[in-house]
Amino acid sequence: VLFPTTDFAIFFCLVFLGHWWLNHNRRLWKIFMIGASYVFYGWWNWRYVFLLAGVSAIAQLAGLAVSRQEDPRRRMRVMAIGVAATIAPLLYFKYYGFFTVNAANAGSAIGLHIAPPLIQVVLPIGVSFYTFMAIAYVVDIYRRHFEVASWSDVFLYLSFFPHLVAGPIVRPNELIPQLDVRHDPRNIDVVGAGWLIMGGLFKKIVIANYLATAIVDPVFGDPSRHSGLEAVVGIVAYAVQIYCDFSGYTDIAIGVAKLLGFRFPQNFDRPYSARSVQEFWRRWHITLSRWLRDYLYIPLGGNRRGTGRTYVNLMITMLLGGLWHGAAWHFVVWGGLHGVYLAVGHWKQSKREAGLLAEPPDTPLIAWMQRLTTFVLVCIAWTLFRADSVATALTLLGRTITGWGLPSPLVTLPVLLAIGVGLATQFTPHRPAERIKAGLSRMNPVALGLTAAVVLFVITTLGPRGVAPFIYFQF
Amino acid sequence: MATEPKPRTQPRGAPEDPTDRPPAGRAGMPAGRVLVVTLICLLVWAVLYGPELKRSSEAQPDGTRRTLSLAILSPLVWIEDRIGVTATVNAASRALGRDPDAAVGGSVGGIPVDIDQLPTVSPEPTPSGGPSHPVVVDTPVREPTPSDQLRVAVVGDSLAAGIGYFAERVFRPAFVNVIKQGRISTGLSRPDYFDWQAQMRYIMQKARPDLTIVMLGENDQQSLRLPNGQVDTAIGTPQWRLGYRDRVTQLAKTATQDGGHVIWIGLPNSSDTRRWPFVGSENQVYRAVANELPNVEYFDTWDAFAAKDGGYTAYYRNGNHVTLVRADDGVHFNSDGYTILMQQVAGFATSAFRLDPKTYGS
Repeated sequence: VLFPTTDFAIFFCLVFLGHWWLNHNRRLWKIFMIGASYVFYGWWNWRYVFLLAGVSAIAQLAGLAVSRQEDPRRRMRVMAIGVAATIAPLLYFKYYGFFTVNAANAGSAIGLHIAPPLIQVVLPIGVSFYTFMAIAYVVDIYRRHFEVASWSDVFLYLSFFPHLVAGPIVRPNELIPQLDVRHDPRNIDVVGAGWLIMGGLFKKIVIANYLATAIVDPVFGDPSRHSGLEAVVGIVAYAVQIYCDFSGYTDIAIGVAKLLGFRFPQNFDRPYSARSVQEFWRRWHITLSRWLRDYLYIPLGGNRRGTGRTYVNLMITMLLGGLWHGAAWHFVVWGGLHGVYLAVGHWKQSKREAGLLAEPPDTPLIAWMQRLTTFVLVCIAWTLFRADSVATALTLLGRTITGWGLPSPLVTLPVLLAIGVGLATQFTPHRPAERIKAGLSRMNPVALGLTAAVVLFVITTLGPRGVAPFIYFQF
Repeated sequence: MATEPKPRTQPRGAPEDPTDRPPAGRAGMPAGRVLVVTLICLLVWAVLYGPELKRSSEAQPDGTRRTLSLAILSPLVWIEDRIGVTATVNAASRALGRDPDAAVGGSVGGIPVDIDQLPTVSPEPTPSGGPSHPVVVDTPVREPTPSDQLRVAVVGDSLAAGIGYFAERVFRPAFVNVIKQGRISTGLSRPDYFDWQAQMRYIMQKARPDLTIVMLGENDQQSLRLPNGQVDTAIGTPQWRLGYRDRVTQLAKTATQDGGHVIWIGLPNSSDTRRWPFVGSENQVYRAVANELPNVEYFDTWDAFAAKDGGYTAYYRNGNHVTLVRADDGVHFNSDGYTILMQQVAGFATSAFRLDPKTYGS
């Protein structure tokens, strides 16, 4: 079920009732919530509930097997087998087609006629997200950061519907302890939740969808038809679109969880206000960044094995991070480019620490220049992310240099306004919003409901017709 | 990414209070009242947004879901119409920048739906260089120049939306103006939802395309309705095929008036083999109409994109080179697939209507 649909609204009202009704009986509550989450997942394609259940069962069996091993080597071996078994379905569903096509074409290029079975493997929605959570569960047990949970807890941890389709990637110690606690039905942060949900809908339906149709899709569709100005604005518009789309989704997910009394980790923290690419990754898709750090970069050795190895580890992490987003070369190049950015940033930092490079003065002008530079670097990388091939991305980047002096009918005031609003969300102070939320929280339920209805009407009317899928659903 | 956390020597435990609560300064609310807020919000929104919800329901295929939705929404919207709510809401919609009477469109997984504004061309009687009298044999498409580009309209459902998008890549902008008119969830069965006959007349009147590429039919497995919503011919009856053929003929005739040309792209096979008999019969209709009418040609995709054994495959082989061409839904194409399809259609237009190859660069 997609979040911004009437189907989900009806589903959520029923789940909300059942959740609070069964709140006092944790066993029944867990059965109910697992059932509801599987209905949510199966709404799209019921067959894939078996995949979700299978990954959950593999993770739990692996966790149990790891927890029984005391010998460090055996424990590590069992963990590695468990992680391999957990990730195997993801590798098959996400990368089978990519590797078979590339193997067949590479083989034919050198005269080897390989004929792998060309099966169309449909990627189940959300599989990348819950597989990463399952791996986190197994590895945390191996590291003794977390003890084996009950079967029902693991099934619910992985399937809990607010995070199921596109994250945030919640750690076991962030969610599983909340499953056993009776939530307080008298003190729900309805305004905080509603603010996130309405804000998420606004970002998704109004800004992201508008920019997609008004400029991003045409410019990325055929860059050679567009001017340099349209190319530049189209790339910046995509940066705003993907932020509003993905952060909008996670805001809705966090808000929905809040209404049920659950706390999810923050996933975005004004990423385009970052002054370096390292900082960008601490603010963008935070739960993926920390997953890559904790379960890939650090196990590879992190920065503990010398300078050269640090750069290699950064590159491996970011290349695999790119490949996680999609089985296509442009995602790999996108990840590689960010790996280069991070390696250069790391090199500069080490030089500064060694006194070989001067620290830039901490003035507002320098800070804004750093923000601008970071934004430009991130936008160049986004071009590779959004384009359907590396060649298209290079054509578009080329148009930003060669396409000047042509008419730019797609660069309109509403487009610039939408970009401005999207970027302004990165720099608006928290305090006024908190004051408004505090005021709203003192309204009576009828007035609050009416206010929310009007806001929802304005959002749905401002947006285009139909339901555009969230960008991160494809990952 | 670049900073590592300090190693943890203690197992991670749960926070003291892992659940969510309002922060200081913000009042919380009991669950019952939260439900009241939610229901008021959704119900009032449904009233305000009722006309739009009804429109969405009408777009759904016949079935319980559509019937139920319309049973709830029709009386609601009827009352809203009478007491002036609809007029007020429509005025609010216009103030917010949306035309409540705008034609349907939307987006379909992965491939954006981009509906072009129709260009206005001068009202010459024979804009395509073709004869002013009814044509009886195929005529060539006129030779375009940079100052007088060929106008190529792409009409139909979400498949047409996809090929329209990639037609812009295949055709050279110096010689061809692609007019994308693909609209999702549309077809010839349901003019009550979107009237392609009327739209085609409008396209001809306004833009007079030299070549119209048509691809539709995936949404037509339902009863034929009239523009007022009444069922004209029920699905499954012998008359359905005749009625459908009339609609195909009418659309093709409209698009070929004044010397225009049509390439009617047949539907490819889909991963759901249960749909094959119906889609096969639709393709027979398109082919028969193309054989009958001058300046209308049928382009087959069924065999072009089928596996060697005639079954469904998501991959396309060009010599030893393999490309994934179909979308996950087993119906649509992906970007590579649409590009290959459009290249084939452009080449086909050259053989059928002597389309100048310089228009698509080969």
